[in-house]
Formats: sequence, C-alpha cells, structure tokens
Amino acid sequence: MMATNQNVTLKAYRYDPDVGQEPRYDSYQVPIDETTTVLEALYYILERVDGSLSFRSSCRSAVCGSCAMFINGMNRLACRTQIVALNSREVRIAPLPHLPVIKDLVVDMAGFWEKYERVRPYLITTVASPDKEWPQSEEERKAIEEAIDCILCACCHSSCTMSWWDKGYLGPAALLKAYRFAADSRDQAGLERLRLVANEDGVFRCHTIFNCTEDCPKGLSPTFAIQELKKRVLWKKLTFQM
Amino acid sequence: MKLTKRDVYLGRGLGMWAWLLHRVTGLLLVFYLILHILVISSSLGGSSLFDPLLRLLQTPLFVLLEMGLTAAVLIHGLNGIRIVLFDLGLGVRRQKEIFAVLMALAAAMWVWAVLVAYPNLFRVL
Repeated sequence: MMATNQNVTLKAYRYDPDVGQEPRYDSYQVPIDETTTVLEALYYILERVDGSLSFRSSCRSAVCGSCAMFINGMNRLACRTQIVALNSREVRIAPLPHLPVIKDLVVDMAGFWEKYERVRPYLITTVASPDKEWPQSEEERKAIEEAIDCILCACCHSSCTMSWWDKGYLGPAALLKAYRFAADSRDQAGLERLRLVANEDGVFRCHTIFNCTEDCPKGLSPTFAIQELKKRVLWKKLTFQM
Repeated sequence: MKLTKRDVYLGRGLGMWAWLLHRVTGLLLVFYLILHILVISSSLGGSSLFDPLLRLLQTPLFVLLEMGLTAAVLIHGLNGIRIVLFDLGLGVRRQKEIFAVLMALAAAMWVWAVLVAYPNLFRVL
C-alpha cells in the first residue's frame, strides 16, 4: 500500500478526430488521498488542468455504468476504482479496448446497444397483465438476482476476445441479459428466448475464456449465464422441442 | 489512426491462459498426428525405410519431443474435462480451482509417465 496524500502520475489516452493528429498519452500530476477514485482524478484534471479532456460519467456510484475505462490493464469503472488500491505510482487510462473511439476516453457504444436490442431485453407476456403485479416467489426471484445487477457498462463486452473478432457475436452483456429473461418466471416468450441465442453468433461462440467474469465491476458471471443458456438449448434440442 | 497507440487488452485472468494453453496444445497435437501418420505409413515402404526412422525417433531430440507430447496430451485432455464440465453447467464458478487441480494432476501424471517410459533416464544423464 502506498503512503497517502501525495501525487500520482495519470496518463490519459488523447485522441481528437477533428484535429486529426495521432493519438497520444498525456501525463498529469494528480494529488490523491486514500479515498481518491480514478474518476475524481479525471475531474481534477478537467476542472483545474486541462478542460479539453473528454470522458463519460454520471452517477459516480457504480450504478449507471457510464465511466467504464481501461485502467491499468483491466476494464474497470473509474468511479469505483480507488487509486491507492491500484498499488501503482502510475495510472494509465485508455478507452475500452476494441470499441471505436469518438474522442479521448469516450467510445462508440452503438454496436453494444444494437446487440443488447437483439436479445429483446424486456418482459414478453402473452396473457393480459394482472391487476396488481406479476407475482414471484422468493425462489423465482433468486434465479435472476445476479443478472439483474448488470449495469450495462460494457466492461465484459470489451474484454471478450470472441467479441473482438466476431463482430456479430452477441457478447457477454447481451447474453447475460438474455439469460435474465429466459430465467424469469414471469416471462412468457418461451422457446423464442432460446432461439435468439441458439446460434453461432449466440451462446456457442463463447469459448469460456472468463475475461468477462474477470473484469465485471459488479462481480457478476456472464460466463455462468451463457453456460446455463447453452445447457437449456442443448436439452431442448436433444428432446426435439426445438 | 494507428492501433499501436492504443493499449492492448492482455487478459490477466487464469481462464485466458487456460484457453490459450488449450489452443496451443491442440495445435501441437494436430501437428503430431500428421507426423505420426507419416512415420507409421512409411512402414509400408519396408524395413529399409522404416528402421532408420525408428532409430531417428530414439535420438535425444525426439525423446525430448516425446516428453513434450506427453505433457501436451495431459494438459489438453485434462483441461478438456474442465471444458466438458462447463458445458454440462458444472463448476463454472469454480473454474480457477478446477484448472489448478487438473494442472497439478497433469504435472504429477507427467512425472510418473516419464519415470515409467524412461526408467534409465537418470542413469544415462
């Protein structure tokens, strides 16, 4: 552990398509104490050193998923990464790998959302809605408890080597969401849920590399969700239901 | 825009190394299989062709390669069991522990295999 109340060197990836220069890393000296987060350091730079630095952020409490960045070799949320915990004199920040850069640390998430849409990420019901609510037992709720915590920050999506090379692959985030609804007792889409993911751009592209599980800032396991979906698809196919 | 300016994501998790090891050993085994078929089929050309080949395979270089082959088979095979478990929905949340145990098993089996296959190894060296 480092001593507190001192400076660290923060190196941030800089690229502005309008200027057309080569991307570069700018170094900044940032004073920190034991609680300073990477996001706070970025705001320090923005407010006092260099107002041209671009990055996304919103809630500052790991709920919105806006500030996912590539920080010291891992995809993390800037807001929940304390600099002292990085245990390094240098903080190196780049935009999420393998996503197109719009400016500096801001990436184009269009492809990510397009995949998210493809799994139909909403409750599908065929019967009329009940007067009050769709009841769910404690156990039924437990089945989706983990998947519900996903904040769609794209840390997993950007760490998945299969997503890098197969641009059509749904990727861990969308598949976790697919599982979230496939496992939801209230959802009535039935086999349609599995059909959406039972192809080579779906669950079968996953090679269980576990980068997504490794990098998820919420500690979720998209790999587990994908394997559960694989198991369900396999069972339906083996019993000729699909 | 040059890609070299962008930091490269190097997976630091064990799962990535397990996957890489599985791929590399898999490719080595494919290469070995081709070599194996070539060597065995050369026996069709009679002893004048086959015997010198067999002598070549007993040289230190090929003995070493053989030990490497044993390691590749053990790593690929045992990690293969790990992957099959995942596809059955088992042990996904314990992947690191399963990998560690299986690789320890692979190491132990490799030492045993070498000792059995080359009982004279240490005397020769």
